[in-house]
This record gives sequence, C-alpha cells and structure tokens, in this order.
Amino acid sequence: MALPDALTEAQIYHRCPLDKLDFETTESLEDLALPFGQDRALRALEFGASMKAQGFNLFVLGPSGAGKHELVRRVLASHAAEKPVPSDWCHVFNFQQSDKPGAIELPPGEGRLFKADMSELANELKTTIPATFESEEYQARIQELQEEVTRRQQQGLSEIQEEANANNIAMLTTPAGFTFAPMRNGEVIEPEEYKTFSDEEKELVESKVEDLQKKLQQAIQQVPRLRKEVRERVHALNEEMVQLTLGGPMGELREKWAHVPAVVAHLDAVREDVVEHAEAFQDTENGAPAGLLNRYRVNLLVDNAETRGAPVIYEDLPNHQHLAGQIEHRAHQGNLYTDFTLIRAGALHRANGGYLILDARRVLSQPMAWESLKRILFSGEIRIESLERLYGLATTVSQQPEPIPLSVKVVLLGDRMLYYLLSHYDPDFLDLFKVEADFEDDMERDEASYLLYARMIATMARSAGVRTLDREAVARLIEHASRLASDQNKLTAHDRVLKDLLTESDHWAGVANSPQVCASHVQQAIDERDYRASRVRERSLEHIRRGVVMIATQGEQVGQVNGLSVLQLGATRFGQPTRITATARPGKGQVVDIEREAKLGGPIHSKAVMILSRFLANRYAPMNELSLSASLAFEQSYGGVEGDSASVAETCVLLSAIAGVPLKQSVAVTGSMNQHGEVQAVGGVNEKIEGFFNVCRQDGGVNSQGALLPASNVEHLMLNESVREAVQDGRFSIYPVTHIDQAIELLTGLEPGQPDADGVFPEGSFNRRVADRLAAFAEVGKSKDKDTGQDNGNGGHNGQS
Amino acid sequence: MADTTVSHKTPEPAPAEARRILVLLDGSRRSLAALEAAADIARAQQAEVLGIFVEEVSLLRSAGYGFAREVGRSSGVARPMDVDALEVRMQATAEKLRRALERTLAPWGVAQALRLCRGEVVEQVLGLVQPDDLLVLGGAGWSGISSFRLGSTARSLLRQAPGDVLLWPESRSLPPGRVVVLLNHDQGANHRAVRVGVELARRGQRALTVLVRSDAADDREFLEELAAMLEAGGISARVRRLPKAGAAAMARAVREEGAAQLVISRQCSLFEQQGAESLLCQLNLPVTITP
Repeated sequence: MALPDALTEAQIYHRCPLDKLDFETTESLEDLALPFGQDRALRALEFGASMKAQGFNLFVLGPSGAGKHELVRRVLASHAAEKPVPSDWCHVFNFQQSDKPGAIELPPGEGRLFKADMSELANELKTTIPATFESEEYQARIQELQEEVTRRQQQGLSEIQEEANANNIAMLTTPAGFTFAPMRNGEVIEPEEYKTFSDEEKELVESKVEDLQKKLQQAIQQVPRLRKEVRERVHALNEEMVQLTLGGPMGELREKWAHVPAVVAHLDAVREDVVEHAEAFQDTENGAPAGLLNRYRVNLLVDNAETRGAPVIYEDLPNHQHLAGQIEHRAHQGNLYTDFTLIRAGALHRANGGYLILDARRVLSQPMAWESLKRILFSGEIRIESLERLYGLATTVSQQPEPIPLSVKVVLLGDRMLYYLLSHYDPDFLDLFKVEADFEDDMERDEASYLLYARMIATMARSAGVRTLDREAVARLIEHASRLASDQNKLTAHDRVLKDLLTESDHWAGVANSPQVCASHVQQAIDERDYRASRVRERSLEHIRRGVVMIATQGEQVGQVNGLSVLQLGATRFGQPTRITATARPGKGQVVDIEREAKLGGPIHSKAVMILSRFLANRYAPMNELSLSASLAFEQSYGGVEGDSASVAETCVLLSAIAGVPLKQSVAVTGSMNQHGEVQAVGGVNEKIEGFFNVCRQDGGVNSQGALLPASNVEHLMLNESVREAVQDGRFSIYPVTHIDQAIELLTGLEPGQPDADGVFPEGSFNRRVADRLAAFAEVGKSKDKDTGQDNGNGGHNGQS
Repeated sequence: MADTTVSHKTPEPAPAEARRILVLLDGSRRSLAALEAAADIARAQQAEVLGIFVEEVSLLRSAGYGFAREVGRSSGVARPMDVDALEVRMQATAEKLRRALERTLAPWGVAQALRLCRGEVVEQVLGLVQPDDLLVLGGAGWSGISSFRLGSTARSLLRQAPGDVLLWPESRSLPPGRVVVLLNHDQGANHRAVRVGVELARRGQRALTVLVRSDAADDREFLEELAAMLEAGGISARVRRLPKAGAAAMARAVREEGAAQLVISRQCSLFEQQGAESLLCQLNLPVTITP
C-alpha cells in the first residue's frame, strides 16, 4: 500500500481568495435583508406565518446564539405589516351576572373612544340625575303621590268610622288598636243598660260590630299593600324621571355606536341599570356611590389604536399570568377586592390577530404556563383563570370574564433538543406546532457565498455600530468562520460568535486608533479570546513540560503511542496528546480495555476496542485460535475516556506490543477504524493537531514531528498560523491515512506486508512479525494447557484471569 | 313677594310667666316625647308641670261588652277585651307615667304632678286647662293610621283649648333652623302668635321668619303694624309675603325657610282648608297653635 504524502499548507488551511471580495471596505456593501444559507428555515417561517389553518404554529429550532430571534422578528414584521390591524377588546360590567364581565369587540382605535364616552357618561350621571331629583317637578309629584296614599289610608278608616257612627256604634282607640261599642248621643252605652235591650236590638248591634270589625281588619291589612304600591309608584316615577334625563346623552351615544351592536346592547343595559338604581343617585350631598358609577366604566383590555398592521409581540417573561392575563385585587382595609376593571390583558390578548414570539425554555420553566398556552391554543379563546384557581388553592368569589376569541400565531424559539423532547413526550405538541423551522448551524462556502457572507458581516457590523472592515479583515473573518464550522467548505451560521468577534475586533481597532477594522485586529480578537480561555490548556501543557504528565515527542518506544484527545470547557475546546500503552502475552484471545474495566471508558470506546480485537483475530489468526492476552490503557487519564477516535492509535500500539517493534513518538495519531482496518473520520482534528503541536513546540521545538489523521478529515482542517508555518518549513508533517497499514508503516518505518494466497505475510514485514509472535504465543499456550491438564486438569481458566 | 327686614332698637326682657304646663299623657312613646319637650320648657321657665292621664270611660264601657274585640293597629288581629284587664293596664300606665314625670323633672326641682281623671279626654282636659296654660300634645301626625289614636282628640283640643297648644313631633330634640310664624294679614289674633314666635326665637337663640298670607294689595297697614310689633319685641325678623295658596304650597314655603319650629294662629285661614292639619303633621315640626 502506497504511503500518503504529507499535507501541504494549502491543504490544511482554506484561504479566502481576496479577489472574490470585490470591495475596499464593508461600507460599500449593501445590507442583507435576510441571512443566506437559511433557506429551509426561511421557507418554513414564510409558510408558517402565512398559513391560516389552526395548529400551524411555529417552532423555530436551532442552537442558541444563531440569531433566530432577530430573523423571526424580521420575517414576521414583514408579514404583519400587510395584515389588517386587529380589533380592540374591552371588558364591561355584566348587569345580569356581576361576576362574569362581558367582552366587547370594537374596530381598532375605537376602544379608547368608547372608554372615554362611557366615563363621560358616568360623570354626567353623577350630576344630572341628582339635579332631576331636586327639581320642583319631581318634588311636587312625589308629594302628590304621598298625599294620595295618605288620603287613601285615612279614607278607609274614616269610612268605617262614619259607618259605625251612622249605626250608633262608637269606634274607640285602645292602646294597641281599635274597638267598637254601641253608642247613644255620642256616648258609649253602659253595658248594664245594654242588657235591657231586646234580643233583636242586641243581635243587630252585635252583627254590625262584627261586620265593622271585619271591615276594619281588612282595611288594616290593606296597609302593607298600599305601602308597597306607593313604593312601586315612587319607583316608577323615578324611572320616568331618569329615562327623561338619560334620553339625551343615551340617544347620542346609541346613534354614535350604532355600528357596534354589542355597544348598543351595553348602553341599553346601562340605562336599565341606572333606572333601577335611581334612588342611589338621589343622595345629593355625596352624589351617587363611586362603586355604582364605576360599573358603567370600560376596561380597555386591548388597545390597537397605535398598532400598525398585525401586532408582533415578544413576551420575555412568559408565565401563566403574563400569557393569559390576570385579575388583580385591590387591598382595602385588609380585604382584597376585585372587579372587572382590574382584569389585565396578557400577551395573548395583545398578540391576538398577529404573532406571539416566546422562548420555549422559558415557557416550560414557568409553572402551568405551557399547559395554559396549549389549552388556550386548543380552545381558540382566552379564558382568564388565576393560577391559584387552577391549582384549586383559592375558592373565593372572583371574576370570570367572558372568553375572548383568539386568532394568533405562536412562534416558539428553542434549541433542537427541546423540540425533539417535546415531540416525543408531549402528545399535544405536534398538534399545535406543526411547522418546524430548523436553522442551519453552518452554510456552504463556495464561490457565490463569499460576497454574501461579506455583506452579512457588513450588515452585522452596521447594526452593531462598529467600524467598517477592510477587505483583509473580512477575509480573515471568513476563514475563521470556516474554522468555527470545523470545515474548509462551510461557514458558521452562528450569529452570536461572529457578532462578538466583530465587536471585539472593533475594540482592538479602537485601541490601535485605527479608523477601520483590519485583519490584524480580527486576529488580535481571535488570539485574545483564545488567551482568555487558555488557563486550563496552559496548565495541562505545563504538566507535560515538567514531566508530571509523561509525553514523549521524540524517539521510539515499543507499546507506546501518542493518541490525541479533545477537551471541551465552556465555549472553548482544546486538544492534547495522551499516552496510550499496550502489553501483550499469551492468553485466550483477549484484549483487556483497562479503561473499561476501571469503569472509566464509555460505551463507544469499548465498542472501538472490541472492533480492534476482532480485527486482530481476523487478520492474524483467521484459521486458528488467537492466543493473546493484551491490555490497553490511557496513561495518566483520570477523567474517563469516550469516543472511538483513538482506535487507530490503539491498534498500532497493540501491534507494536505484540511484535515488539518500536513506534515513533514524534508522530501523534488520531482516527477511528473499522473491522477491516479502514480508517474513518473523527471530530476535533484541528484542536487535536494544534494540541500536539503545542506540546512539541515547548518540548525542544518542532522538528520533524507530525500527526496522522483520517484522510476523510482533511477537508475539516483549518489550522492556525504556527502549524501552517511549520508545515511549510517541513518541520511538521500531517499525513492523511486511509488504512491501518499506512499508519503502521508511518509509525514503524517497516513495510506492513500483504498476505499471499495462503494468508502468509512476506518475510521481514511488520505483519509477519506480528503473526510469528502470535504463533509463538499459541505454542506457549498449548504447552501450558498440557502441563496444567496433567497436573490438575482444570487449568483451562488460567488464561482468563 | 316682598321681603322686609325689621330691626329692633331696645331689647326688652322676657316677661316672667307663672303659667302651668299641661301635658296630655297616655303612656305611648309619642306622649313621652311630649313630656320631654314639656320638661325642657318647664326647666327654662321654672313652670309647674301637670301630667294629665285620662282613663277613658267609653273605653272601659266598651270593654264591658262580651262581644268587644280589640283590633290590632298594625296586625289587624282581633283579641277579646276585658274590663279587669283594662283596669289593670290603666293602673300600670298611671304608675309608669308618675315615675316618668318624677324622673324627668324632680332632679331640676320643677314642680310636677300627675292628674288622673276618668271621663272623656277632651272634656277632662278642657276642664283643667286655663287660658294662660301651655298644653303640650304628643303626636307627630294627626292623621294616618299610626297616629289615629290622637286624631280626633288632638283636633278638638287644638280648636277648643283656651291657651297655647304645642304639638310635639315624635323626635326628641329640636333640629337646627329658624322659628317661623305663619300669619294671615286680615285676622285679628296675630299679636299673640308674633309674641310667641319672638319668645321662642329669643329663648332658642334662633332666627325668626314671619310668613304673611296675603292676597290683597291693602296689606301695607298690616305690614307696618307687624314691623311695630317686632320692634316692640326687640328682635329682627325676615318678613315674607305669600299668596293665599294651598296648604301644600304653604308647607313648601315653610320648608324652604328651613323651619325648625312653627307658630300659627288658630284663626289662620289655613285651617279652613281640607288636609291642612295633615300637612302640618308632615312637616314633622313642633307646632305652637296660639288662640
């Protein structure tokens, strides 16, 4: 197998060709209305924003800092501008059921007018109605009424008295009532004298007295009815007077609001209520009670007078109350009171008819907010329920405002994991959020994209208010965007990182008193960021330099190789070499992964070791038993190992241990391997190579060291300048390998050798050495089995321990 | 309507009177309120108070009939009546009144007595009252079912008593306001009414209004006479002329003046009108009727 050539500088870094950037500074570049490379997300957004059917709410998913928020706002704003302004909504008192305030929909901007009209009406009532009651007309009519009633009361009694007198019977008052007695010449007859009357006369008198008593009883029992009648007639009079007083203002209002039937109906209800409570307005000293007048006022819940197009609302604290609205209470002398004027709108009210943008994570972290949002979206109406009621903690009488019909497009922003978790665990989720707008992490880097990316940078620079960038600075930024994407053919779409870098470059340009941001400032910003995050990396390098962590970058050694690993700390990643060692002795075909045994290895790592042990068995002992007891360890690794990127290194070091052939310590190895020995791509190659390079540099300078990496990883290389210089000078070599044999040859300098038709490797080749050594192990194993079999017959397990 | 203000020159001391105050008592709440009012006047004038309690003969007689029933004033329920029970009730009432008199007046050293009589109320009272005496009657309304009890009695006494009659409403204390005297320009007995009004105003330190009912244009002479009278009384008063309108208009005029007390002559033409008395009641003011 032919050995690969070391990579050239051009292969390990994709420069941005300056001729593609046809401008001097970013000042001459036009703004980019929409980011490029996000076609999928944009189409989804456009679709979601214009789709009318229920349930087509959006979930915009992408990593945080991808600029989702701004983009969503921009897209929605352009859509909203073309849509009509939604209605105003207000709550009014419900005169039938006082705890269920009514909701009235009004054309946009008219809510304010209605509110003003009603409070003016309330003020007018306060003065005009008492004036009516004070009028002479009213007073005279009330007096007439009372006089009439008095007359009727008296009349009943005097009629009885007259009748009694006419029949010679006296009607006398007693302390508690009345009584009748026969009379003569105006005087009550002595009972003794009465006894002398004839029976007919007595009968006549007594029946008359009885008759009069009955009449009197009837007359007295009529009194409550009479009084009630008076009350009713006074009430009717009050109503009449109030009707007359209200006629004018009410008529005007009814005419003005004739186009809104709900308002007209409310006005009629108000009039009836005023009439019903006419007596309450009679108090001329204090005026009508404020509580009574407040009922005629309007609680303007949603005021769209200033709204242009459909509203686009972002609620940054999406808790239950802020979403669905709430009913506040007023404390008065230690008691809490509420009425319809204390109903407060939520974000859903304000966004009704438009768009509501929410952060998914925040919604989910607020108690009941997610459930409430779903409930409201399902029902298509906003019903204000307090949290304590939802939980059943409070059962006090409160307001239950009439639900308001809802037509809103909810746009949730969140990371991908949240989207997939919600789709998996929440059965309602996909019913309500049918449109996913998935943001790309990175975009294509091709001929066409250079200028677009430059314009995007220019747009970003302008919106961030930083200096203009010259061409070189933009080129450097584009190159760094590739490095951030870890791909020569991609550019990162991560808004936040780029923006931070821009503002930091601007800062350094400012420090240097430069009118523009130049490439050096961008580089300085990159270096400074790198330096700020370098504490742990420097510490790790120091350990290696002082020999605390043992890493050799020169010489050769059997059963020892430099693997490469990546550490992620916060937002930064860095690579460092790790010594991997192996031992080999006769045994039962076992490769012990010490990391796994010590429970420091992850499942992917274990899988990789199993793959390599099957590769060994298949290649070197296809027909016979593999007598091997080998072990693999990551030296001085205490934090656990995961991933399969060390499997090429592990294979090499294991083979070295078996064959006793030393490996070059100056070459670090990364790459994963399949069961056929083919090398596969891994992640973090830039950090790994730079990590090893840094170790070499501090350990006596870089001199003919290098690294092996999977050939399929070459297009991910965007290495830093010092590595590039060393590569250019031939002091550091990076080899792309496709097969384990290439790695073996590069590390040992020995021809690996291909097996002939019988499966025998050529004499003197590396593989032959391995095969021979394994055969020797097998011999040892057999003789040992024989010995133990003769001794005690159960030695078969020894090799397993 | 012409308003004239007559101011006094030299105030004249109130004449020391040695008249009696007679209070007609029947044990009702209203009559006890009248007793309080009488006590106030008595304390101010150091006059003797004589409570009168009349055991009505006709009532006793009517109780003697086997078929007699008492029909409740507000419930209308009929209960049998009985002479013995009535007698007991009357004795208890008399005792209660005696104690009330003592409690109200003895601490101030005002002479007081309760006169028990048996007979007809009007007859008995008229037999006791002298022209110089003040007769105090309790009972806000003279009409209406709640005050029917005093109705005919009060009416007869108002018309027949030889001296002043004070009709006291149910309320115990006097509201703030003016003393209003209501006169007819063409009647002779105005002097007494004006004098009583002046005295009430002075005693209560209240403003005085004289309302003159007059239709004729020839009242100049009368107004001059009135001015002279007020001057003699040494008090300034507002004088208003009113047309001889109905009782209702009169009541309104009195109310408009902010009246707290009303003085009216028995000969006032107002009493010729139907319902005048009931209107006076509705004012719910203490009314003094002068001969």
